[in-house]
This record gives sequence, structure tokens and C-alpha cells, in this order.
Amino acid sequence: MDLLIKTLLDGDQAQAILEVNKLRDAGFSQQRIITEGVEKAMEQLDAKCTLEQFNLLEIMLCGRAVMGVMKELFPPDAPHPPQTRGAVVVAALEGDVHDLGKNILKMVFTAKGYRVVDCGKDCPLDRFIDSAEQETAFVVGISGLITTIIPQLRRVRDSMNERGLGHIKLIAGGAVLKQFSAESLNVDYVAQNAFDGLHYLDQIAGDKK
Amino acid sequence: MNGIERIKAAISFQKQDHVPVMPQVFGHAAILSAVTLDDYIRDGDLLARCQLNAQEFYGYDAVFALMDVYVESEAMGSVLVYQADRYPTVKAYAADVSGLNNLTVPDPYRDGRMPELIKAAAYLRREVGNNVLVVGCVLGPMTLAVQLLGMEKAIYLAIDEPEQFTRLLDFATSVIIRFGSAQLEAGVHLPVVFDPASSPDVIPPQFFREFILPRLKQVFESFKQAGSAVNWLHTTGPVEPILPFYTQAGVELFNIDYCVSPLNAMQALPQTCLNGNIKPVSFIEKTPAEIKAESSNLIDLFAKRGGFILSSGCEIPPESKPENIAAMVSAARGDGEQCQR
Repeated sequence: MDLLIKTLLDGDQAQAILEVNKLRDAGFSQQRIITEGVEKAMEQLDAKCTLEQFNLLEIMLCGRAVMGVMKELFPPDAPHPPQTRGAVVVAALEGDVHDLGKNILKMVFTAKGYRVVDCGKDCPLDRFIDSAEQETAFVVGISGLITTIIPQLRRVRDSMNERGLGHIKLIAGGAVLKQFSAESLNVDYVAQNAFDGLHYLDQIAGDKK
Repeated sequence: MNGIERIKAAISFQKQDHVPVMPQVFGHAAILSAVTLDDYIRDGDLLARCQLNAQEFYGYDAVFALMDVYVESEAMGSVLVYQADRYPTVKAYAADVSGLNNLTVPDPYRDGRMPELIKAAAYLRREVGNNVLVVGCVLGPMTLAVQLLGMEKAIYLAIDEPEQFTRLLDFATSVIIRFGSAQLEAGVHLPVVFDPASSPDVIPPQFFREFILPRLKQVFESFKQAGSAVNWLHTTGPVEPILPFYTQAGVELFNIDYCVSPLNAMQALPQTCLNGNIKPVSFIEKTPAEIKAESSNLIDLFAKRGGFILSSGCEIPPESKPENIAAMVSAARGDGEQCQR
């Protein structure tokens, strides 16, 4: 398992997949590989990013390796989808076509065992809220890189409340949005980076249980 | 002192009549002149007129021949989506990994919007002469590589095929030098090198040292030879870990973002003029009194050391409140102090 953790942290996708297959051959279950391998690697990356420097390159490489491993363990057409800690819907709102931040969120949340539904970039508000409802999300996340989406973002909370979805927590993040307060954006939390968002998610998931 | 004398004095740590002030007013100049952003970034003469209006309105020390971050990549084939009230976005990047060898250095007098930017530079210099600093803009090598391929592809290329990535950075460096030199020829006093993708929140400091530093050095040496008044680098984000490299790159003026401690920056770059670092969204959210107080704090902080230009941490958002920008300019001029005397 240590080798899997190391290859994931090195961002070596091909080697990580080889390690996963070795573990499976040795009788390790999918769930154990995730909890003792993938999640441990993400915890170490989280600690490193907190202590040193949040660094997109390392996160992206590790995230790519993690997504490769998850795909290996749970192919899209697999009969038994992974157990999850709950559904999270993420998007970049209509008018915003920057999706890197959202993609990072997706990788980090997936690796921690959440089911992430990606509404993509340039996503109309109604479609985003429809997804939150259909997927019974407990948190929704919006990543934003431009100030022009802010008026739209400020409407999300009220629109969700009107639809009876007031119980779903709303996170915002991204280079521009993180300069604002949660109150000013009318959201529940403003994440300073993907792991900060993850900590909030874990906290809410813990409260939920 | 006029604006350019004031800025040059700050760069060389000489005394000024008051702290120079250089709000990074780009698209806001369009809004102030009731022009759409879309028209502003596509018409060099219009951009220059809006910049002059804004400079006259606020009375700060620099004007900017600067459109957006896609000028270079569009000239090499990126497809953009233009919208009236916002900066363009990328629909398709100029290159795919397999097509990198087909890229050619664009002609600043022919390709994309480059000629319009050159036109804006010439217009501005013609109008302000040596009274106000005329600033052009080029992307830095890492940011241009990202704009040619997209962030994810560029970063994966750097790791999966470092030799090809190195060639891409060398190509980007050639583009930057060619475009910046053309801007200098047209009349800018300097092109600011904007390289947010080389920030430590994107790439590790070792990566910066190995891949980016030598190319930034090459860019600044070329600009100096082409007559650039000052080597100005603008990198956003928490740059503390790479600040010591900037002197090696030949940086003479560095923009500190709002998340960087001015004290840390002063310590890391004792001989380098710094500009910054009011949080950009504060110009939307805060009041003139708050902006003035933040500005005065910064001025006080640098008073003993010198080598400071009051500015925002990054671009002042187009929709900012004009009274907030005016408050920053007023603080630099010491208007409040004069009233109190």
C-alpha cells in the first residue's frame, strides 16, 4: 500500500495503476485500496499543501493519478459503483468558461470518497439547481474566475431556498471569489483552495451523520 | 515632478514630491468612458482615448496599452468568444500537443489584435510624451505556454514530455521578445511582463528556478537592449518563495499581490522597487475612506525605505467604484494631510 501512496503522491498514474492491480491480485478489496491507499495519499498531499504551499502542478498530477486509479477500480460501466460519503454537485456558472478550479475540486472530493456530479462550465443556474435536487446533493460548489458571475452567484442561495433546497450547503471558490466574504456572496462558505473546501465538506458530512 | 519623473525616482529609491500612484486601470477605463469592453479591447485608438480620459479624470501616473491575456495566443490561432460587457474567453486554444511544432512567431504588425495594441501604444505616447508612464504588456513565458495549450495540457506536458515543454517555453520567449520589442518601438516606456502562471500556487519554486527564471532573464535583457525604461514583472499570488529569484531575472519593479506581506517582500527584495498591494475587489466592496486608510498605511509602511509605488494587487476590476480609485490617488498625493495642515 505504501508504494501506491508514493506513486500517487509522485503523480505517476501508470505506476499507480500497476500498484492497484498488484494489491487486487494480493486480495485487497476495492474499498480497502481506497481508504488505506488513495485517501491516505490525499491526506498527505493535504498536509503538504497546508504546511508548504498549495501548488496546482502537484495537485493536478496527483489528481490525474487518483482519477486513473478510481477508473481502474470502478470502470464507468462497473456493476457495483463505489460507496460514497454523499453527493456534491459542482459547476462554473453561465458566462464563466474557466473550469480548471472546478476540475481540481472534482478530483480532490472524489478521492476522499464523495460522489461528484460535474455540471461543467458555462452552466445555467436552473440546470445547476436541477442537478442538486436530482442527485440529492448535500453540498454544491461553484468555482469562479471572473467578477461578472457574482450577481448570478448571489442569487443561487435564494433560488435554492425557493425550491425547498435550503438544507443544501453552498460553497464558492476560485481566484476571484475567494477574495470575497461568504456573507457578501450569499453563500455558506468561501473555500481558499480545494483542500479548504474539502475540510468544510468533511465537517458538513460529519454533522450530517 | 511629473508622473514619469516620480516613478523613475521611486525605482531608483530617490525622493519624490509624493508617492507615485499607478492604479491598474485597464477595462475600467472603458466603463468610465461609457464604451463596451468588447470595443475597448479590439480598437487601439479607442483604448488609448479611454486610457487618456481615465488618466485625466483620476490624475495618476501611468497609462496602459493593455487589452487582455489572450492577445498573443489569439494571434497564433486561439479562437476567442467576445462579449460586450466582459473580457473575451477562449473557445479553442491555438495548439494541441501534437501541433506545437507548427506554431510560428506572430507578426506584431499583422496578426490578431497585436497591431491594435501597437496602435494604442503609439497613440498614448504621442499624447502624453514623457509626462506619464506608458506601459505596454506581454505575457510571461509560463503564462503564454498555458494560453497556447490550456493549463491542464501545459502542465501535463511539462511533466510527461519535458523536452517538448522546454521547446514550447523557448518558442514563447521568442514571441514575447518580438511583441515587447515592437511595443517599445511604438513608444511604450516599458512592457510589463505579466506571468501569473509562474506563481508558486501554480508551479513549485524549483520548477520556476529551472524552467522560468532563465527565460525571464532573457526577456528582460532583450527589453533593456530595446530601450525599456524599467523591468517590471507582475506575478500574482503568494510569491514569497520565489521573490529572491527576481533580482537574478533582472526585475527592477515588482508588483506584489494583496496576499503578499509587504514586509516580507521588502526583506526579500531590499533593492527592488515594489508596487501594490490593495486587494482588487476592495475597489468594488469598500468605501473611499477605507481605501484611503489602506493606501495611507502602505505609504507609511514604505516611507522609511522608499522604492514604492502605490497600486492595486492586480487589475482593478472594471466595475470598481470610481470614488475608490480617486481615494487611492488622493492618498498618494497626500491630499488629506494638506487639508489637516
